[in-house]
Amino acid sequence: MASVHDSLYFNPMLTNGVVHANVFGVRDWVTPHKMALLVLLSELGRAGAQLGLLERRRLNRLLLPLLQGPDMALSRLRKAIEECCPHLAGSVHIRLKLMAEGELKDMEQFFDDLSDSFSGTEPEVHKTSVVGLFLRHMILAYNKLSFSQVYKLYTALQQYFQKDEKKDGADESEMELTNPEELDGKMEKEELDGPLREEEMACSGPLSQKQAEYFLSQQASLLKNDETKALAPASLQKELNNLLKFNPDFAEAHYLSYLNSLRVQDVFSSTHSLLHYFDRLILTGAESKSNGDEGYGRSLRYAALNLAALHCRFGHYQQAELALQEAIRIAQESNDHVCLQHCLSWLYILEQKIFDSCVLLEHSVNKSLHFGLPYLASLGIQSLVQQRAFAGKAANKLMDALKDSDLLHWKHSLSELIDISIAQKTAIWRLYGRSTMALQQAQTLLSMNSLEAVNVGVQQNNTESFAVVLCHLAELHAEQGYFAAASEILKHLKERFPPNSQHAQLWMLFDQKIQFERAMNDGRYHVADSLVAGITALNSIEGVYRKAIVLKAQNQMSEAHKLLQKLLIHCQKIKNTEMVIRVLLSIAELYWRSSCHTIALPVLLQALALAREYSLQYLASETVLNLAFSQLILGIPEQALNILHMAIEPVLAHGAVLDKGCAMFLVAKCQVASAASYTPQKKIEALESAILNLNEAKTYFAKVDCKEQLRDVLYFQARLFHTLGKTQERNKCAMLFRQLHQELPAHGVPLINAFK
Amino acid sequence: IGRAGAMAAAMVAAAGGGDFSDLREIKKQLLSVAERSRERGLQHSGKWAAELAFALEPLPLSELPPPPVLTEEDARDLDAYTLAKSYFDLKEYDRAAYFLQGCKSQKAYFLYMYSRYLSGEKKKDDETVDSLGPLEKGQVKNEALRELRVELSKKHKAQELDGFGLYLYGVVLRKLDLVKEAIDVFVEAAHALPLHWGAWLELCNLITDKEMLKFLSLPDTWMKEFFLAHIYTELQLIEEALQKYQSLIDAGFSKSTYIISQIAVAYHNIRDIDKALSIFNELRKQDPYRIENMDTFSNLLYVRSMKPELSYLAHNLCEIDKYRVETCCVIGNYYSLRSQHEKAALYFQRALKLNPRYLGAWTLMGHEYMEMKNTSAAIQAYRHAIEVNKRDYRAWYGLGQTYEILKMPFYCLYYYRRAHQLRPNDSRMLVALGECYEKLNQLVEAKKCYWRAYAVGDVEKMALVKLAKLHEQLNESEQAAQCYIKYIQDIYSCGEVVEHLEVSTAFRYLAQYYFKCKLWDEASACAQKCCAFNDTREEGKALLRQILQLRNQGETSSTDVAAPFFLPASLSASNTPTRRVSPLNLSSVTP
Repeated sequence: MASVHDSLYFNPMLTNGVVHANVFGVRDWVTPHKMALLVLLSELGRAGAQLGLLERRRLNRLLLPLLQGPDMALSRLRKAIEECCPHLAGSVHIRLKLMAEGELKDMEQFFDDLSDSFSGTEPEVHKTSVVGLFLRHMILAYNKLSFSQVYKLYTALQQYFQKDEKKDGADESEMELTNPEELDGKMEKEELDGPLREEEMACSGPLSQKQAEYFLSQQASLLKNDETKALAPASLQKELNNLLKFNPDFAEAHYLSYLNSLRVQDVFSSTHSLLHYFDRLILTGAESKSNGDEGYGRSLRYAALNLAALHCRFGHYQQAELALQEAIRIAQESNDHVCLQHCLSWLYILEQKIFDSCVLLEHSVNKSLHFGLPYLASLGIQSLVQQRAFAGKAANKLMDALKDSDLLHWKHSLSELIDISIAQKTAIWRLYGRSTMALQQAQTLLSMNSLEAVNVGVQQNNTESFAVVLCHLAELHAEQGYFAAASEILKHLKERFPPNSQHAQLWMLFDQKIQFERAMNDGRYHVADSLVAGITALNSIEGVYRKAIVLKAQNQMSEAHKLLQKLLIHCQKIKNTEMVIRVLLSIAELYWRSSCHTIALPVLLQALALAREYSLQYLASETVLNLAFSQLILGIPEQALNILHMAIEPVLAHGAVLDKGCAMFLVAKCQVASAASYTPQKKIEALESAILNLNEAKTYFAKVDCKEQLRDVLYFQARLFHTLGKTQERNKCAMLFRQLHQELPAHGVPLINAFK
Repeated sequence: IGRAGAMAAAMVAAAGGGDFSDLREIKKQLLSVAERSRERGLQHSGKWAAELAFALEPLPLSELPPPPVLTEEDARDLDAYTLAKSYFDLKEYDRAAYFLQGCKSQKAYFLYMYSRYLSGEKKKDDETVDSLGPLEKGQVKNEALRELRVELSKKHKAQELDGFGLYLYGVVLRKLDLVKEAIDVFVEAAHALPLHWGAWLELCNLITDKEMLKFLSLPDTWMKEFFLAHIYTELQLIEEALQKYQSLIDAGFSKSTYIISQIAVAYHNIRDIDKALSIFNELRKQDPYRIENMDTFSNLLYVRSMKPELSYLAHNLCEIDKYRVETCCVIGNYYSLRSQHEKAALYFQRALKLNPRYLGAWTLMGHEYMEMKNTSAAIQAYRHAIEVNKRDYRAWYGLGQTYEILKMPFYCLYYYRRAHQLRPNDSRMLVALGECYEKLNQLVEAKKCYWRAYAVGDVEKMALVKLAKLHEQLNESEQAAQCYIKYIQDIYSCGEVVEHLEVSTAFRYLAQYYFKCKLWDEASACAQKCCAFNDTREEGKALLRQILQLRNQGETSSTDVAAPFFLPASLSASNTPTRRVSPLNLSSVTP
């Protein structure tokens, strides 16, 4: 029976019960492709000075990827050479043809001649150059071959060459096939070839250790820096499986497979690969005798730590905590402070998910600095700054801290952290409501040349910081009414971060938020309502808030109020101050919509106090606008005008277009209201300035296409013109109003009572 | 061809029904198929049939099967066949194939193709040794396979293949990893020639779960019973397998060493050690020079630490053939039992050199390295075992144990869980899982595991004690008491007089529990039991004194009926273990 013959199988890689990947000490071996390269090199040497400078340069550029890359078919190789130097391609082909169609001794002679290139007083190749090393590797590998192996190599070379010949001839022979029987035979053949050919497409053969290492590191760095350029998850997995089939001991491939599974959020296979990797790594750790048992224990600690990271990534916080505890315990037992530091940082991240605490973090930063781990230290500083910003600490101190950590980054060339730092500044400026500063920071990051670009040639651009900055940029543009630009940015985001990638949720949220705002502006509340579900899925708090806003807009006051109260309590509990203020503002709005301005006032004052305390300037000005409006309605327009002066400046400087319009409209209203008590002369002046303000408001509203507000402004303006007796202008406004009024349904709230 | 086909058809008809009423007929069929297999160089199938035939009553001369009828074609190919067969027997496959070229008869054609196949396999194995580089190792292929497939598929389409031909076609397909096609062809082969055990055996290797088995349309012959029994054993459906084997024995195959060994293996798989041991001893008596399955036997001897028997077995096998995988394995076990772990590992390595796909050795080697505290090598060995067979629960369990020794209880959860998935009804994995959860202070999960371990039938009888202790920790005294009661019942009901350390603990707890509940009779009964153990004697006596004192004080009020021995009515209702197992719902989301 067949299985009997399995016993003939002998595994030379097995010693002491453990399989060693490198038992031969050969990281590379001779393949037909490599021989073609050798021929190319020797031809290159022979051609010598005849080659033009340009051709030589092109060839030199070609050589490195050829030496490092996977084996390829002869036809492809020939094409690559032809592009650089057609003359050389011809001679390489002839040399190969002579060798393949000749005898075994031709090949042997070829290898004998190869070593000559080192000899002589002025050798063609330096022994230590890239090409020299390659040549010596090959010669060494060839000399180690036994007779049967040499023969096998030669037949492989013949096949390699013949396959190319056949491919050339294939086009002609296919035309001649008319005989149905032959066709049948061919079909069968093709059917048989089918699966194999596909394999060939994916990977043209087994990779040598070197090639595999190159492949893995390249893909890993692409995954880190620019995911879209890396192989698609499915095909990468296929490559890796292929690689592992040929060499199951190639532990790094398991790690890459883990990263790849993370891309597609596959918790099962990623766990599997991660653990497999560390099981394998433990062996290599034990092998390195330099640090004895230490290396082995080390990989154990990091195995647990990585497992914690994995669980954290998938949101299994409890599991992550358990794994982390384990890592910490093992690290403590073996006094590995560096590992402990990593654990501490992770612990902070986990704790943050569960409850707030800065103590751990401060401790972590101090310790990291002490152990000379700049990366961890500044990561800690950044987290700390973030937390402090939310906790309303003084802005100047935070910026100072960021500046200090930036110094560290530049000193250690931690380009990733520089990006994060800039993204964080963007976010903080936005939190404070300084959109121009945020815009400037965002642009800085986008137009900055990454440090990595110099080294690797890969732009680091699919990190989280880029996603954050781009999202902010999109929102800032949308706020200013540049919807086309915003959607352009979003489109770019979609390309850069495909929907299944890690940071895709960010832009999804922002996309929906922008759409929501637009729908609200246009008064398409049903559209906005349908977006709420999507927003809730990505961010529940934001979703509930938006739901309340839609309800409010649809005049379902009591439901909105109920929702907002619940949200308020929740946000106060989790200390989300920004949201608390926004909710308070909405509640106040609900009150004044129901004409309870006196109840709205204390709510607004509370919001104002909070906003001031946490230095959320923009929210503060918005609160002031609301406050002024309430005062206007309560009949103290002078007071309203007074406080408006505080708010109008930041709003005009940093605000969204819609807010600017609202603010100007409010100013005009206050001016008109306070003009009632003025002398006629002064009154006219006041009214005229109000008209000017209204004009400004009108342009703002037109920008964001808010027809309802536009209509209100026009009505108001018409009334003012009427008072001033400017009939022509009045009629113009009235006509515009009439046009808009016919388009839009009338809403229930009386005009003067609406501020927004 | 026509005649051979007709003959095969006749045999199918004769074999049909799956009943064993005509043992003589069965014997005749077995003898003839053994002969035919041998003619084609299929030695293992021939051996199987011959073994089975040997178990039946000998036939009188008149009823012996007639020598196979030679056709015209057979006669024409006879010379070439005879020559080629002798070359084949000498393993000169290419030479055999050369002389068989152009032969038309079924027998010669099969031998022709089979020689080509074996020649390819042999070359492949030879080449593996001196391939160009380590990474190319996985690439070495049997070059002949593709050609063979083309030719055989043509014949297959023309329906010119007999049962043996179909079998070979199936083997070729399987080697090319075309599993689905291979299964179809093997089923066809089984239909064409149900007596050929090789085809059934290949099917066994390809079918991975019960569902797949359900959807196969198999010929309804008595051979199917053997197949089903075998595959049930493979799929760990031991109950069903044992039933099948029992019915086969009842049908008259009681002397078959094959069936006896399979039953022994089945008992081994469900860890019924005593039965398995006695059957193996019986087998050794009947077939003293048998080497197959002796590794399993040695495992059993090892578990029971029967040193002299194991030593005898090792010496005996070594005399018979020391270069057999099983022999190496037995010797490895022997050294392991003598705590000479380095030597044990050496022998397991030798077994692996003889056959790298012998996965048991990888796992056993892992165990040896564990004993030697060489955890990294152990992990490697286990990982290899998993690579050979992903479903090797012992290796997963071993990996879990390794990490547990390295004090990584969370990390090993994954491995134990894998093992548990493969053997959902094995209490050892569940107890291991429970212990890990306990170490992680996940007591709810731990309780679930222990309860489940008890529910699926606890082998080591430790789950209940552990569960009880957990309940004790959580101050759930009622449940703890119940667990202890069940534990004691279990221990006493199984009748073993094995000294269990925890029995005294159980009685002590129960005594105190009843004491607290003021159930004096039960309390004193338990306290008396405590006195039987050294470590709880004093406590038991003290408690008895206390009970006596309290009883004297409250003599007047205690008029209630004495409950039966430590089974108060409230508990006895619920203490019949409801072994209805709910799905193990561990809260963790991890795989």
